[in-house]
Amino acid sequence: MDTMTYTTQSIWTWWIAMYLFFGGLGAATLSVSFLTDMYCRPHRKLVLWGALSGVVMLAISSAVLFGHLLHHVAVIYVLNPLVLFYQPHAWIAWGTQFILWMMVWGMLYALPYMRETPLFMRMPLVGALLQTKFVAWLSGCCLKRRRIVGWLATVNGIGTAVYTGLLIQSFPAVALWHNPGVPLLFTVSAFSTAFAYLLLLLNVFIPDENDQDIRHRYERMDVILIATELVILFSFFNYTLSGSESGYRSAKLLWNDMGWLVGFIGFGLIVPFFLELKGVIKGWGGRMPTVAAALLVLMGGYMLRHYFMYAGVYAYPW
Amino acid sequence: MTHYAMVIDLNTCVGCNACMAACAMENQTPVWKNKWRTYVPEKEIGTSEMVRRRFFPHLCNHCDNPPCLTVCPTGATYKRADGIVLIDPDRCMGCRACAMACPYDARYEVTYDDIKVGKEFYGELQRQSPSMDKCSFCAHRLDKGMKPACVETCVGSARQFGDLDNPSDPVTQLVASGVAQPLMPHLGTRPNVYYIDDMKRKG
Repeated sequence: MDTMTYTTQSIWTWWIAMYLFFGGLGAATLSVSFLTDMYCRPHRKLVLWGALSGVVMLAISSAVLFGHLLHHVAVIYVLNPLVLFYQPHAWIAWGTQFILWMMVWGMLYALPYMRETPLFMRMPLVGALLQTKFVAWLSGCCLKRRRIVGWLATVNGIGTAVYTGLLIQSFPAVALWHNPGVPLLFTVSAFSTAFAYLLLLLNVFIPDENDQDIRHRYERMDVILIATELVILFSFFNYTLSGSESGYRSAKLLWNDMGWLVGFIGFGLIVPFFLELKGVIKGWGGRMPTVAAALLVLMGGYMLRHYFMYAGVYAYPW
Repeated sequence: MTHYAMVIDLNTCVGCNACMAACAMENQTPVWKNKWRTYVPEKEIGTSEMVRRRFFPHLCNHCDNPPCLTVCPTGATYKRADGIVLIDPDRCMGCRACAMACPYDARYEVTYDDIKVGKEFYGELQRQSPSMDKCSFCAHRLDKGMKPACVETCVGSARQFGDLDNPSDPVTQLVASGVAQPLMPHLGTRPNVYYIDDMKRKG
């Protein structure tokens, strides 16, 4: 035992946490807003806000990773869709393709709504582009095949959210990461933050009395997802407490840290859980509690990934 | 078929670091930032009169089931038929997933700055683009019938290199006898670097 060295890493730090957070949030936001539009009721504003902010989040996520690459030109190999045939075991290859196609299908799904919105049609360049014959024809095709386009975007969105967990799971030396719970945790967290973000949109940026049913549904879904996340985290706690020294050291790092315990578990999960639970059961007089809960969930979503990256412990036999 | 492997005897490693120097000169590693393809950490083990120094040379383990290869998104990391795991620097985009996946801490990054410094440090630099880097078992030397630079330079013959598919190779016999063991076999990486344990430490 005394010859072993236990250490955390400084290779993938805050910037990968940002990549995972914005990747998962952006993808789940697109998926949820499109599913709402397809199966709840058509909602132009929600789709436009969801699609555009989702694409911006995915772009931020990709830019953060791209900015930290050592050899930027070589990224061409992973942008080529054929990468899935020669590197099918590499999750970054899948993730890059999911993100790329999610952005493409996401924009195509939003295209007919963009053409219906005076703001976009009046915009310099964008307006001119939207009025071209080709874009009009493309928009018509997307409208005709709305569900197919919506589902293509949604599948890529779910793929992106799951991928963020699978990526971390593929590192075998770290017990905290290399287990089947990680993709589950990151997927649940991605969708929970997406519901929180959409609640923020529906309460602050596009408030509409007619959307009460959607807000209520989102809040109920978020309560269920936060509860699921707490259960997964509890099982993580038990899993890391024994079985491997690497896992045990990760547990000590996480559960002795006030940022994780109070910041993430307390304010990022438990407080918004009760705020949203009251909203679901009895309702709130105003919007502030729901907005506060949404902001806390978003903060918690980043903190989860941040702490996860920093708490992975490698065990070296020297 | 050839299946290269290395055996390192911890009883005869004296920690002279000649392997590190030979490797650095052969492979032009960024030594100015203390990054090596092979390095020899030392540790003091025990207390008072029982204390002893231990040297532990390590390098890429050229695993048969390499996690660095499976996570590589561009296919820059690849495995030769003789078992050597290599990196194509032109294809590597430097996402560092391989360094995260490696359980032996065998990979490091070579940046644009390192290439600039390397040109001044080594005069002429073989590499043109930044990428992740690691031990190649000196594949270019093996192809010419020579041994890896670290093996050739090792003063205590602590490093032995051989072909596991050749039953009469001393390295094959050491591995088959069970005297030489791989690191962390429970991870399922099937490493091709084996260690003969430090007998003094065993008492």
